[in-house]
Parts: sequence; C-alpha cells; structure tokens
Amino acid sequence: MGLAPFETVVASHHAEIYRYLLRLTSRSGDADDLSQETFLRAYRAWESLDDGANVRAWLFTIATNLARNYFRSESRRRRAYAGVSDVRTDVDPASPEEERRFRETRVLVERVVDGLPLKQRLAFVLRKLHDLEYEAIGRSLKCSPESARAHVFQALKKIRLGLNGHELPMMESVR
Amino acid sequence: MTAKHPSCRAIEVDLVVTATGDAESRSAERVHRHLDGCAPCREEFGRYRAVDQVARGLRAVPAPEAVAQSRAGLESRLADLRQRRVAYRIFPSPLGHILVGRSEHGIALVEYLGGGTTLRASRLGRLEGVEAVEGGPELEGLQRELIEYIGGARRDLDWTLDWRLTTSDFSRKVLEATAAIPYGAVASYAGVARRIGRPSAVRAVAQALRWNPLPIVVPCHRVIGTSGRLTGYAGDKLGLKQRLLSVEGIKLRAARRDFSVVRDAMYALDEGEVAYCLPTCGSIGTRSLAKLTLFASRESAEARGLRPCTDCRPDLHPLPAA
Repeated sequence: MGLAPFETVVASHHAEIYRYLLRLTSRSGDADDLSQETFLRAYRAWESLDDGANVRAWLFTIATNLARNYFRSESRRRRAYAGVSDVRTDVDPASPEEERRFRETRVLVERVVDGLPLKQRLAFVLRKLHDLEYEAIGRSLKCSPESARAHVFQALKKIRLGLNGHELPMMESVR
Repeated sequence: MTAKHPSCRAIEVDLVVTATGDAESRSAERVHRHLDGCAPCREEFGRYRAVDQVARGLRAVPAPEAVAQSRAGLESRLADLRQRRVAYRIFPSPLGHILVGRSEHGIALVEYLGGGTTLRASRLGRLEGVEAVEGGPELEGLQRELIEYIGGARRDLDWTLDWRLTTSDFSRKVLEATAAIPYGAVASYAGVARRIGRPSAVRAVAQALRWNPLPIVVPCHRVIGTSGRLTGYAGDKLGLKQRLLSVEGIKLRAARRDFSVVRDAMYALDEGEVAYCLPTCGSIGTRSLAKLTLFASRESAEARGLRPCTDCRPDLHPLPAA
C-alpha cells in the first residue's frame, strides 16, 4: 500500500465522517477538529492496514473512538444536548402541514437521541444515519454485533416511547 | 396501557426490527401475518415506521463551505505530515540490528542500533520534526539489498537518498564527496577535506562523518586516517568498519587496537590522475594518503573508468590476489 491512495481515502470519506461527527457533537468546530484528527490517525496507521480491510468501517471506528473520548468530558456532553446546534437536516415532506408535523417530530426524536446513553446513541447513529453493518458497529463500540443490534433496538424503543401521545407524520402504508 | 395479548408480546421484537428495516425475511413474514389480524399492532408498526423515517431524516447536512474548509485544513496538515514522515524497518544483520528509514524523497536514515531492537533504541525516535512510522512489507526490498551488500553479494545500492537529515551544507558536501569513493577503495579524511576545497577542515570532516545519517550507503567506512589506520567509525564501531572493508577486498592488518590498510598490497591513484599505479611506481609509495585513493583490485579501479599506468603497467604485473 503506497502513499498516494490515501488521498483517495480522504476524497471518498471525509465528507461523511464530518457529517457523522457533526451529528454527534452538534458543533461544526468540533466536527472539523475531530474529522481532521480521524484522518491524521488513519494516515499514520495506513501502512499497516490489511489490504482487504473495509476502509470506511475502519474510519468510522477511529472517529467513534475520538467521539467517545470527546464525550468523556461531561461538560461537553451537556453542551451538545443544549440544543444550540449547527446541524441542519434534510427532509422532503409532502405538504406544509406535513412539514410542520415532521419538524415537530424531528425535534422530539432529536431530543431523545441526544439523551440516549452514549453507546446506544452511537450504535443508533451508525446504523440508521450511516447504514453501517452490525459487524462494523460492534467493532467500533468494542462489543459483539448482537450487542450492537440490542443497542439500536433499545434506542428505537426509547424514541418510540418519547413520541407517546404525539401525532406522527404520515408515512407510506404498512406494507 | 392495557396488558398486551401474549401473541402480540411474542412478536414485539420482530415487529420493531421489521418496521425499521432490520428483520430477516422469515420474521418479517411472521410479523405481517400477525398484523393482518391485529389492529393495535398495525398501529404500533406504523409508529415504528414513522420513527425510523424521522430518525433517518436526522442525517446532518453541513454547510458545503464548512466541509470544504475542513477538508482543505486536513489536506494541508497531511501534506505537512507527509513531508516529515519516515517509514522505518528494523532488522537483524551480520553487523547487528539495523534501522532503515525512508521518506517520500528517498532513503533518509540508516542506523546501527546499539542498545536495542526497537525504535526506542534509535536516533530516529528522538529526531525533532520527524514523524516515524513503522513501515510495511514495502521496505523488505531495502532490507534484502542491504543484507546482500553487507555479505558481499551486491556491490552497489542504487537508492535515491533524502539528504534532509544532514545537519549542514558542509556535512552534505562531505557526504557527497564520500559517496563518490568507489567500492573496494579507500581515501583519507584529509583527502575528503581536499576534495571539498577545505583542506584544513580535517577534524570537521571526521565529525561530519561521525554523524553520517546514511552509513553503509554513504560509505564513510571507506574513509581512513592518513596514517593508514581506520581510526574510528560511527562512534565506537571500529569492528564494523573492518568487516565492511574486508568484504570489499581491502587488505588490513591489526595495528595496536586498530587496523591499518596494507598499502603495499593496493593499487594507488594520485590526485588529479586518471591512471592507477602499482604501489611501487615512482614516488607514489611515499606520497601522503591525503592525496591518494587506494584500490583493492584492478577491477574496482577500472570500474570507475581508470586505466592502468603506462609506466608501471599494473595490467602486466598485477599484485598477487589475496
């Protein structure tokens, strides 16, 4: 593995890792710092990475480790909850009424997600927002794929409970 | 909330994973069969569907400028890191453990590891501004070539060199002049000083060679005292110098805690000449080593384009082979 291909790694994955870290930290400054650190670490370890390795999942593992260190500082954690957020999200609702409902629901969901225990939150974000395999999520969180699956399940249940009594936006039919 | 029917409880987990797109097809079928006859679970399924949709909508969409700026910052830090990066490999050799380090510009460091077999035992780990990383199999070729060279199975190391670890322009000149001494030949510290136009800087030359970051490749082992003695090598590694010179065919004899080259057994090239001589040619036997280069064999002299002297005819009266 030479040096040149690392540029293609940055080109392919930087934006997504940045988005992931922005979602977690809610701060573009922190997403900037942590995403750069992710790739600098990856660069240092690049030579010793196995040829067949899943580079994307490996980058998520590095980013997740950095995010966990970041959240060890409890004050930062609270700040991330505080809601002053640089995060915008993409929605594509059908009508203005739907849009309003969607936005309200999203605020509720966001609040529950940000309040989840860290491992559940990370597992949830990796699975639902970045479509990582449970195998890879398990490696990121240093747990089994089954535990990763359980974290996501718990997160979904909590979000569902958090929406009790709230009118949800229309979604496509059950089947 | 009223208590759930046992059949609803039984599919609860499958219902969640099916609604959120994580179920295997078999459990999904089971869930859908149940939903056909159970209105509350149908509603619950719908809510989980909605949760999943909303959750996926939480994907952050950062401002493109912010991402671009972050990437530009990253790339400039990577460029800086790449400049300072030296990938190294440590391996055993007949001369003890050796470290070879390569940057993107070329071979930057060859080091004898005296006190250990890891980066901790090396200068590389302590050099300021250098980012040392353990290299992968791409450095195996360097190891193989160096081992062949040390064993005499190879006479040249055709390596691109990175001179950035030389400490000054003076050192660089000394090392380049040293690199020009051919395989199977020796010159003196004073001779190197003359070649770089600083004939009185003999001690400074010796110091520059002591800190040669590229021993073996830049053959400082071919530089000896004007007395013919080896005098020193890489601090206290005189034995290694003797071994390297012997491999190249240089005749040496032990001389009071040191070794001395055997001038009588070597061809000589005078300063500014293009023909090499027998050690008995004219007054060459009494010339100072500051002005001579000595060759172990006719081959090593002629490999540098030198021709035999027409007076003493080393081609007709070669020295006895060792």
